[in-house]
Amino acid sequence: MTDKQKAIREIEHTADLGLEIEAADLPGLFASAGEAFYGLIADPTEIQPKEEISVSATGECWEELFHAWLCELLAQFNLKGFIGKQCRVHRVEPGRVEGRIKGEILDLKRHRFHTEIKGVTYHEFKVWHENGKWRARVIFDV
Amino acid sequence: MAGEEIKLERIENCLWEIPRQGGMRVPGRIFATEKLLAGLKEDNSLRQVMNVAHLPGIVGYSLAMPDIHWGYGFPIGGVAAMELNEGVISPGGVGYDINCGVRLVTTHLTYSTIQRKMAGLIETLFSLIPSGVGSEGAIPGLSKTEEKRLLRDGARWAVAQGYGHQQDLDHMEEGGALPNANPELLSDRALARGLKQVGTLGSGNHFLEIGRVEEIYLSDVAQALNLFPDQVVVLIHTGSRGLGYQTCEDFLKVMNQAMTKYGIQLPDRQLACTPIKSPEGQDYLAAMASAANYAWANRQVIMSQAEKGFLKVLDISPAELGFSLIYDVCHNIAKIEEHVVDGQRRRLCVHRKGATRAFPPGHPQVPKAYQGVGQPVLVPGDMGRYSYLLVGCQAAMEKSFGSTCHGAGRVMSRTQSKKESRGINIDQEMARRGVVARYQGRGTMAEEMPHAYKDVAEVVETMDLAGISKKVARFRPVGVIKG
Repeated sequence: MTDKQKAIREIEHTADLGLEIEAADLPGLFASAGEAFYGLIADPTEIQPKEEISVSATGECWEELFHAWLCELLAQFNLKGFIGKQCRVHRVEPGRVEGRIKGEILDLKRHRFHTEIKGVTYHEFKVWHENGKWRARVIFDV
Repeated sequence: MAGEEIKLERIENCLWEIPRQGGMRVPGRIFATEKLLAGLKEDNSLRQVMNVAHLPGIVGYSLAMPDIHWGYGFPIGGVAAMELNEGVISPGGVGYDINCGVRLVTTHLTYSTIQRKMAGLIETLFSLIPSGVGSEGAIPGLSKTEEKRLLRDGARWAVAQGYGHQQDLDHMEEGGALPNANPELLSDRALARGLKQVGTLGSGNHFLEIGRVEEIYLSDVAQALNLFPDQVVVLIHTGSRGLGYQTCEDFLKVMNQAMTKYGIQLPDRQLACTPIKSPEGQDYLAAMASAANYAWANRQVIMSQAEKGFLKVLDISPAELGFSLIYDVCHNIAKIEEHVVDGQRRRLCVHRKGATRAFPPGHPQVPKAYQGVGQPVLVPGDMGRYSYLLVGCQAAMEKSFGSTCHGAGRVMSRTQSKKESRGINIDQEMARRGVVARYQGRGTMAEEMPHAYKDVAEVVETMDLAGISKKVARFRPVGVIKG
């Protein structure tokens, strides 16, 4: 198990799916959350980093920014079918996040599809800094 | 996950109350047998019933149906009625999948006559009805102008395009279109997502199921609904797809920002709301109506595609097939309805999130054909056991704002269900249960296996005992397609 995998935990929730993510810094938190999010939709081992897209989002505080980032990834999947494998976040500052994601268009004939995500909920949603680490908790409607 | 200890008082055999406490404006009430109630104490759904009771303008009770389980914001299986002057509207109280719902179609066929053709039938339906996941396309593709017509006219649009028949419109809530829709209030992103997904099933717990009538409980009502033993029926469960999800997301953002302006404080941000009368509230209701209309059009197109599949595989005429819509219900919606509260007739905004309207015989909003028997209610179970057809009763108007259950209700998290499914050959397991299954993702199937759900028989029995809705018939699944 890699360090990145260790820092991501699936939350037990009766109806939906949730994640807890931990990272040393904010770019790491956003990047890990992105990769974990894609991993809920399809098996990441089968996704190839064939294309790279730029993604940005805006939000008034870290929580809003994190929420907007995940909503943006979800929209890119829903509009273009793009599923990421590697997320790199090169800028996180108050109000804005920017990143580049390598992946490809989901092909149901080749890729093992897990489930469709409907929304990024605010239920028990939290982004916080504790013991020198950044942490986030998010539940997705599936 | 163990939930906190919440004190409950027994009101009736299958009805329990959480007394008002803290910021609750009304008590909570839960319909459940003792067995179902024991399961509820394992998660946070009772706390969610209490949280909903904090919403401004809520009247009567914060209600939960027996299929209640832990959701986000509202519990799934939650019903909350708000008065129109001081009350609020909450997008989270409707859910991301606006007008997620179920429709039931009957045929003239008996299962024994099509049993040998089931594999081919399921394969054909799977190819005719896409999941719409990722980049997979819609049936039909839309122009933006056409999409806005669809959003205004709902199922009427689909019928006008040749999907289904005029008489289908008489057998849907609201005739398949809410009149106050305004597509101009939807974001560009919501509209873009909608262009690609008409006629798609989606993933998760959405499905098309072929069933056979296994048991009839009320023969006179079954006769009025043209049901007979061993009859082949079709259940379709889906909603407003990405257009609805995006609309919910857009308005959650709007309402989270606007709540401060209206002085509203809540225990969970997912309950974000504004007064019904506010500009934000009115805009949401008109946007929600547009998304609800999209869902009705979606189910109408899927039903029409399913009819084509049956005709092709069985090589029979439409008259021999007799594909006929019994009813189409919404179970994620907010509706303006009249109810009697404390002896006074009042117009209320009833949120049903994972709950089905169940109006009694004689109610003006029940279609003419069902005036004598009450509104049909469709309650799918898990895909391996059975589903039910119920009818609404008078007690629903007195106890539950005309609402009843909507499904089996989960008892196991998706993660846990996947763990339990490890080592199970899903195809063999479904075949053992007599179900031909075709699906897009093994993950979804593993999450949706029967072990993840309550026994829907216990759920519908609870509402039968409470006098809210009566069992008419039970269907046994024989084929299913899932995204």
